[in-house]
Amino acid sequence: MFSFVSKRLSLMMMTKVCCFQRNFSSALPPLVPVKLPSKMETHFWYVLPDEVKSESLLSQYSELLSPREKKNLYHMQGDQFKKSALLARVLVRTTIARYQTNCQVNPRSLKFKKTIYGKPEVDWENGDKWCPPPLHFNISHTSSLVACGVTVNVPIGIDVEEKQRRLKNKILAFAKRYFSPDEVKLLTAISDPEIQRQEFIKLWTLKEAYVKAVGRGFSAAPFNTFTIRARVVKMGGFHHFDTQHSEASEIVVESSDDPENLTRNWQFALLDLAGSHYAAICIEKENSAGGEAGVPMRLTVWKTIPFVEDERVSGTGAVVPISGLIKQL
Amino acid sequence: MATFSAITSVIFAPSLEPSFSNNVIAERTSNLKMAIGGWRKNSFPSLKTNRFCVSCSAKPETVQKVCEIVRRQLALPAETELTSESKFSALGADSLDTVEIVMSLEEEFGIGVEEENSQNITTVQEAADLIEKLVEKKAA
Repeated sequence: MFSFVSKRLSLMMMTKVCCFQRNFSSALPPLVPVKLPSKMETHFWYVLPDEVKSESLLSQYSELLSPREKKNLYHMQGDQFKKSALLARVLVRTTIARYQTNCQVNPRSLKFKKTIYGKPEVDWENGDKWCPPPLHFNISHTSSLVACGVTVNVPIGIDVEEKQRRLKNKILAFAKRYFSPDEVKLLTAISDPEIQRQEFIKLWTLKEAYVKAVGRGFSAAPFNTFTIRARVVKMGGFHHFDTQHSEASEIVVESSDDPENLTRNWQFALLDLAGSHYAAICIEKENSAGGEAGVPMRLTVWKTIPFVEDERVSGTGAVVPISGLIKQL
Repeated sequence: MATFSAITSVIFAPSLEPSFSNNVIAERTSNLKMAIGGWRKNSFPSLKTNRFCVSCSAKPETVQKVCEIVRRQLALPAETELTSESKFSALGADSLDTVEIVMSLEEEFGIGVEEENSQNITTVQEAADLIEKLVEKKAA
């Protein structure tokens, strides 16, 4: 009798503290769980809003949001934008929930907070105390692609931008105002306006990803105080100069404020994603001794419609490395 | 249970009655504007932007100009409501849009915005207030 009672009690405790999948929205199937990325491994998940057409699915997605997220969404203008904003919240909640392989977590129950610098992170306070992973995430979205990057132990920043994005201002005027002198030089040297525009967008995504990874907003790293550039890396004595096809150009960041130190710790990848977007990923290297060159970022990429389908696309035509040392898994 | 279509169909519709105090402010600021130089013929302050602006520091013309720049940058359709309280992020602006907006405002008003300040510009009103502060500082 006693053992039965204590079993029930502990079961009830479990129910309270680790919310069951069964508890919510009975129509949605469980999320396919995924193992946490290991050290120096990055997981990258993305959703294409155009592939999510079902109104009832979108309605179920809205139910995953917190009251505050719902309120923010309510005030947004523009259907496309609202949809991608909804999917961004759904993606981050479901992605983090997938990694809770020991106790099932309801994506709806996740709470988020911001660091003093304004970077979003998971607030594990609420009852998930005994299974919080040292998980880092970062989101970025356009109206046509929503992405979430995940790492363990090290900070991550990502940025995605439509390849066709056009500036309202003149590119060089913008670069002179916001980018570093070296970057302006590089862009000025490109005579073809279309190539110049593409290189601008790529540079923008890399700079954004870096600032987001550092996590302290613009004021900690104003755009014109650091330069991001590609550097050829010797791989067994054989040089690749065509960054489009090689994985032997490393992306580095150099700070005018801080020439030797912090900037050595960051690793970048730049991808052509789904044929439509540039995606930049920046993670902190765990072992920064001597700023080891030539170690690739181990990257796994999934395209997903949460609760409906997950497709691992790393190594396929959906993910084309542009620069940075990347090893797709 | 809210459906997705229900969320998209709700519209924010502030009332458009001008109050007496709004007109007084409009007159005072129009004199100031003439003193600074340049009076646009059709720049009677928009009723919509005035609605929230009675006790704020920025001139209605400034708010109006900011709205125009934001509307252009984000390519907002005519039916999109734009007021001084409009948040850029709620209008679909990403970080690149915000930086472009700041740059356009700098060119329009002949000012320079420090990057840490540009982080704090999240609404039309905040942009207008900062612009006026910087314009004053420059004139001083």
